[in-house]
Amino acid sequence: MQGPLIDTLALHGVSRRTFLKYCSTLASLMALPPAAGVAMAEAMAAAPAAAKRPSVIWLPFQECTGCTESITRSHSPSIEGMIFDMVSLDYQETLMAAAGHQAEEVLRKTVEANKGQFLLIIDGSVATGLDGAYSCIAGRSNLALLKEIAPHAAAIVAMGSCAAYGGLPKAKPNPTGAVSVSDIVKDKPIVNIPGCPPIPVVMTGVLAHFLTFGSLPDLDKLGRPKAFYGETIHDRCYRRPFYDQGKFAKTFDDEGARNGWCLFELGCKGPVTYNACATVKWNGGTSWPVESGHGCLGCSEPNFWDAGGFYKALSMPANPLRMAAGAAVAGAAAGVAVSFANRAKKKDAKAAHETTTLADLEKSEER
Amino acid sequence: MNLGGIPILAADPDAGLSGNALPLLREIAERLKRLLATGEAGALDLHSLPLTPADRAWLKARLGEGEIRVILDSDGESTLDETACPGVWWVTHRNLHGAVSVELIEVAFVPELVKAHPEDVQNGLAHLELLMGDLR
Ligand code: SF4
Ligand code: SF4
Repeated sequence: MQGPLIDTLALHGVSRRTFLKYCSTLASLMALPPAAGVAMAEAMAAAPAAAKRPSVIWLPFQECTGCTESITRSHSPSIEGMIFDMVSLDYQETLMAAAGHQAEEVLRKTVEANKGQFLLIIDGSVATGLDGAYSCIAGRSNLALLKEIAPHAAAIVAMGSCAAYGGLPKAKPNPTGAVSVSDIVKDKPIVNIPGCPPIPVVMTGVLAHFLTFGSLPDLDKLGRPKAFYGETIHDRCYRRPFYDQGKFAKTFDDEGARNGWCLFELGCKGPVTYNACATVKWNGGTSWPVESGHGCLGCSEPNFWDAGGFYKALSMPANPLRMAAGAAVAGAAAGVAVSFANRAKKKDAKAAHETTTLADLEKSEER
Repeated sequence: MNLGGIPILAADPDAGLSGNALPLLREIAERLKRLLATGEAGALDLHSLPLTPADRAWLKARLGEGEIRVILDSDGESTLDETACPGVWWVTHRNLHGAVSVELIEVAFVPELVKAHPEDVQNGLAHLELLMGDLR
């Protein structure tokens, strides 16, 4: 593929307007101002398309395949699909036709032919207990495979909360000694795309960035692309005005719930969770958890499985009612302060593992 | 129990309103002034603003319906509808499954997407000339 990207897309039957529309969608989900879409379209259209499709190797470690399930639902065929067509996904155990020795041979050859140039995507955590014996592929532990292949990659994408932070396998008591990719690999650029699972377009957005600008997007201190993880769920939540006014649903079926009030007291972790659900939404933009009436679980944050009950309000140890009243009076500024305070609380909660019981689901009197 | 025995609760029409839509009307007015003074177009991304579904409906009702509706058929349907305030467009982009991917309020004489790009016009002209060559 040679020549500017827009010509390459034209060959695929993608018109300039379709492309402009795509860029405006991308700008919106990256939380950029609408004008950025036009600027982005101009930059991307003029960018030279790569002479050879960059090679991508995808290794599944200690995972549930949920991340793969999510990505394959990145509504294809769409322009993202087109851009995806521009990478060569050389090894992905769940999707590839080859199996057994044949598959392992492909892996060896791909690494050999693209040394220092391929993008390595990993989903799942790395088991380190018993020398990594808890999770093996073709007789080799994930740990050994990662140590062998990572040095040859151009960059690594840690897909999902397990690869990014250890995720469910790392939850106490962590029987397999699960760790994140960045706990093992120290000398490569690593992009963390947390979420359980991550939002499909976030993944394709990062890939599109890599392909069109030839670089990785800006990352925050936890290695997450700022464009998607720059703000909390709470910052962009459409129920936020009710939070600021102190209007909270107290149960899942009371009047507040019917009126679409804030789910904070029902355990919403939106204030401490950095992700793009509130703007990008799920299932092809149909809806997202808070819109469906359930609080955010905080699935894209480190150690979320050990961060306390899903239905416990973040403010539980303090006095939620007093805090709510404060927020109502002081408005948005108080909301921000509260979310900072809650981040600290969540950290404390991590230290003590709590299980969710039926009692958590039913709001008790003392709350 | 007959039908009449079922208590009917009328929903409060203002139940879902957050009060966040009104400032948007002011912002749109500001942008219209800028459009008139400098010709600079602008847009508001509705997805990125904390608006409840009721706020959105309220805003849409206030802006009303204008005379022009544009349907763009590319990678899913997009509608670019002028509101009762000329120069203010309610733009909805949908993906191939019909789900809304972006909702914008554009302030422009004509939205950028509607205009044909000179390079595309050039291609169209080349196509036409080829056609005429065949017909000669
Ligand atoms: S606490 Fe949850 S439901 Fe309430 S405004 Fe924040 S993110 Fe939305
Ligand atoms: S709303 Fe929260 S728990 Fe749900 S998917 Fe988004 S980040 Fe994860």
